[in-house]
Amino acid sequence: MDPMSRFSVVPSGDESPEGPARPVQLEQLLHRAATGDETAFADLYDAVSSRLFGLVRRVVRDPAQSEEVTQEVFLEIWRHSARFDPSKGAAMSWMLTIAHRKAVDRVRSAEAARNRDEGYGASNQDVTHDSTAEAVVERLDAERVHRALETLTPVQRQALELAYLSGYTHTEVATMLDLPLGTAKTRIRDGLIRLRDTLGVTL
Amino acid sequence: MSEDIHALSGAYAVDALDEIERARFERHLAGCPVCQAEVQSLVAAANELSVLTEVGPPASLRAKVLAEIATVRPLPPLAAPQEQPADEGVTSTPPATAPAPTPSLPAPAAAEPRVERGDELADRRRSRSARGFARGWRLVVAAATVAVLAIGGFTVWRQVEKDPQQAIADQVLAAPDAMRFGKRLQDGSTATVVRSTSLQKAVLITSGMSQPPSGKVFQLWLEDATGHMASAGLMPAGGDQVVVLAGDATHSKAAGVTVEPPGGSDQPTSAPVALIPFA
Repeated sequence: MDPMSRFSVVPSGDESPEGPARPVQLEQLLHRAATGDETAFADLYDAVSSRLFGLVRRVVRDPAQSEEVTQEVFLEIWRHSARFDPSKGAAMSWMLTIAHRKAVDRVRSAEAARNRDEGYGASNQDVTHDSTAEAVVERLDAERVHRALETLTPVQRQALELAYLSGYTHTEVATMLDLPLGTAKTRIRDGLIRLRDTLGVTL
Repeated sequence: MSEDIHALSGAYAVDALDEIERARFERHLAGCPVCQAEVQSLVAAANELSVLTEVGPPASLRAKVLAEIATVRPLPPLAAPQEQPADEGVTSTPPATAPAPTPSLPAPAAAEPRVERGDELADRRRSRSARGFARGWRLVVAAATVAVLAIGGFTVWRQVEKDPQQAIADQVLAAPDAMRFGKRLQDGSTATVVRSTSLQKAVLITSGMSQPPSGKVFQLWLEDATGHMASAGLMPAGGDQVVVLAGDATHSKAAGVTVEPPGGSDQPTSAPVALIPFA
């Protein structure tokens, strides 16, 4: 056994939402992927695909398109793995950001938007119970986020959900929630700040 | 225009800006460390929400992804300080491309690469402007300078000095008579042209656009009423761009993008990969 291995099991005292060992491991996998290591990338896929696909699926809605977008996301991650900069945030967040942007870009294109709009009313409410996460750790993460969301005002929460989870622009959110134009972006920002502070997000 | 552009940080962090606001905010972000830090933390917070939506993808996706990446080489790291295109005629350097991994790195990484890219663009433009500083163009610069001065302080002014193209783009995007024309491209990305006839200029905004084939460049065109295409410059490397189209766009009826040999062509030599009509 590698004498160093006992040091790499659990980084001490890490209370990160992603679970103790994961952030470091993801960075290492990305780092190896950057050298063209396909095995490392396969491990990375296994570690994050449900987070990325789930987010894309939530925003895009259409299963076939969600799959397509997720595939593009992974290609993007692979291509840019050498450019991930750990000083700018966690690896998971970097990958989620790529996934979110791509999902949003897709859903804003006209045809996709049409498909999605039909399903909007029905699925608007499912934000809080569609986690199929099985691991206990993940359930705890979800609970933690739910609790944090409860500290937001209803308008902040709705604005944030419509923007982040449904991919609407702040202008659209303002219309949907009957807010004066300038205020949706403020609600989103205030909600995010509260979420950040409640979750104790650190970089 | 921007009563308080800082207030867009939250909407930016959750991708809730339209592409024009996004472009404007990113310009601001590049020079605002306060917003950079805030955006970074808000992005991290927003991404926590994804624990609520976790769903495993279909098993078949894994094989598709792994088969696809096996055929693509990861990009080299960005040279830390700067990588200027050594020789501006040959713009085909694929690595210098795609500085912002994805437009994605909204907050975290986008800011810095974007700055580099701006400079690169500025360099290229500077040399172009040397050969023909069209009158309308100069007027636009003047207008931009005055407007920015009136609003902001010294820092902003210096930016104007440094890169008139950015100032022009900002002016066009914020112009009261700005009209936008969007198009989804074949590669699934989006391109938007914003034109202000009072400023006589048009700006192309791309988001996630694929790169030209190896050894080629994208050239920009403005099409006049007779169908004639006049070169509007070369597209800087990278799939997320805010580019001022060279030339007077007042009477143009469309903007086009074609694949051309390095250095560009006098006339398009291939069918446009994008043609965005101003109507």
